[in-house]
Amino acid sequence: MTLSLGPLLSRLSARSPWLYRINAGSCNGCDVELATTAIIPRYDVERLGCQYCGSPKHADIVLITGPLTVRVKDKVLRLYEEIPDPKVTVAVGVCPISGGIFRDSYAVAGPLDTVIPVDVNVPGCPPRPQAIIEGIAKAIALWRSRL
Amino acid sequence: MPEFLSPVLAVAVFPGGLFALALGLLLKGIDRRVAARLQRRVGPPLLQPLFDLIKLARKETLVPETAVTPVFRGAPVAGLAAMVLAAAMIPIAGVYRPDPALGDLLVLFYLLAVPAVALMLAGSASGSPFGAIGFSREMVMMIAYEAPVLLALLAVAVRGGAAEGRPGCLSLSAIVDYQMRNGPLLLDPVLWPALAAFLCFLPANLGVLPFDIPEAETEILEGPLLEYSGPGLGLFKMMAAVKAVVVLGLAITLFLPNGPAGAAGLALFIVKCALFMIAGVTVTRTAMGRMRIDQAFRFLLRWPLAFGVIGFAAVLVRW
Amino acid sequence: MWYLPVLIRNLLKGPATEAFPFAEAWTPPRMRGRIAFDPGSCALCRVCARICPAGAIQFEKRPDGLEFNLWHNSCVFCGLCTIYCESEGLHAIPDWHLSHYQDEKFDLVERAVVRFEKCSGCGKQKMPAPLPLMRKLYPGVDAKEMERLRALCPQCRKAGEQKGETP
Repeated sequence: MTLSLGPLLSRLSARSPWLYRINAGSCNGCDVELATTAIIPRYDVERLGCQYCGSPKHADIVLITGPLTVRVKDKVLRLYEEIPDPKVTVAVGVCPISGGIFRDSYAVAGPLDTVIPVDVNVPGCPPRPQAIIEGIAKAIALWRSRL
Repeated sequence: MPEFLSPVLAVAVFPGGLFALALGLLLKGIDRRVAARLQRRVGPPLLQPLFDLIKLARKETLVPETAVTPVFRGAPVAGLAAMVLAAAMIPIAGVYRPDPALGDLLVLFYLLAVPAVALMLAGSASGSPFGAIGFSREMVMMIAYEAPVLLALLAVAVRGGAAEGRPGCLSLSAIVDYQMRNGPLLLDPVLWPALAAFLCFLPANLGVLPFDIPEAETEILEGPLLEYSGPGLGLFKMMAAVKAVVVLGLAITLFLPNGPAGAAGLALFIVKCALFMIAGVTVTRTAMGRMRIDQAFRFLLRWPLAFGVIGFAAVLVRW
Repeated sequence: MWYLPVLIRNLLKGPATEAFPFAEAWTPPRMRGRIAFDPGSCALCRVCARICPAGAIQFEKRPDGLEFNLWHNSCVFCGLCTIYCESEGLHAIPDWHLSHYQDEKFDLVERAVVRFEKCSGCGKQKMPAPLPLMRKLYPGVDAKEMERLRALCPQCRKAGEQKGETP
């Protein structure tokens, strides 16, 4: 019984990925695009069972925007630790992936993947809402395998 | 079957426990789906709340270092237990009559306060400043909506009992019996102010817009629920689902309990729950923005209280 | 109560949601998305690398030419390079399917080697002279003459002009 129930429960719980946004010094462009995926009927990310939650402790998929500035680095690390396992990290925009136009600044501590493990990258400045949804779909596929 | 087992079964399986939980999750699913449709979205699948629960059960539990662990872990259990007990006290016309041993309207009224208290305990025990803000807001809300709804309940009790020659009869079954004989109280103009007060209480008690101030996720990050993860949060979600059934069931009992016996009556009850959910919760929550705590306090102590007083006075005058 | 008509209208109109992750999304045909590079139309002037605000375009030396690298993970879709590229080798194309897993992070690059050529006049190594650029420099020149000009280095072309070979 448990043998057949386990995969079924995994499959069902993979349909409820809750999203959490971390703004690691972003210019807010990507955050606006993230908001559109939830609010604008055309993109409606709730269809996939996603839901933006206010607390890192409720999150399954964490979306990080911004180049990871020096001042915000410790806070991002702390928030990342507060997200319960299993979790998937998505870097949204070129800033967390490579630093983007802020790459060589003294105030930037990163590309993000030198500090925390990143699973999916969504490049763009900002990425289209559809591109973000594509990235979230990839993250869900990865998350299903981790459950 | 031994005599003492039937209330136990009523609490554990039907109409409390499993049935109430399933119905509550279904109602939440309908609510989310209809809200999405009202905003021209597709919305999540109908069983999404169930998926959420299964997922939460499989997540890691994190307890903050600053938390008072026994209270932190106990609060959701206490809230859920009170709601499951309360769900067994809701009569379904023609299908289920609660055992008098379970209690009457007043007990139900106090049980309805337990989830709010559980949230307050959770918020204050989590050791998070956002939890503390949520705690104080929850308390303000509770103070604001308790008085009007008590007046509305008393108005119905007096009206239902007066015709029976037993004014102030607080038995829910008696109220249902009265309405089965004399038609639903929804059609009784004397009770419309009480109905208005109850409709204002509905979103306030269920914690949805415009009254989701204690759990506002965009300003205080879900307040008391902030520090909960995994199973603890799942228990709170279950509590909210069963609470929706209790409050909507109470609304149906008070104003529109009529229905046939047997399976048809049960189906009608579920349909009525869904309709009350859509009319009283979904539409308001899609159409309105969040109030500030002082606005909500002032609103709840002005209009619903006025309606409650008028309704109670009207019932007394008619009697 | 003014919102009730709006809600009812929304309910009647039905969802406006795209089916995207389950079906193909509609993309505007002139959307400014990923930058595509055409190595045949590169004059190796390297203005794009200089102008790129994100530093996404880099040139690397190779024995027989220069390697063009455009890192999509840095590109901000500003389109400056497409404006400054006089030889029309860079275009913004309507492709936004750029999201990828972490292990593919360093694969997302537009890469091509642009080879040096030999001048048909002096035999020295020279930069390529792509057709769109030469059309702007020598308008109204017929195809055969254009081929001859393109095979010459700038010095040889200048010398030819002084002798009165070219228009």
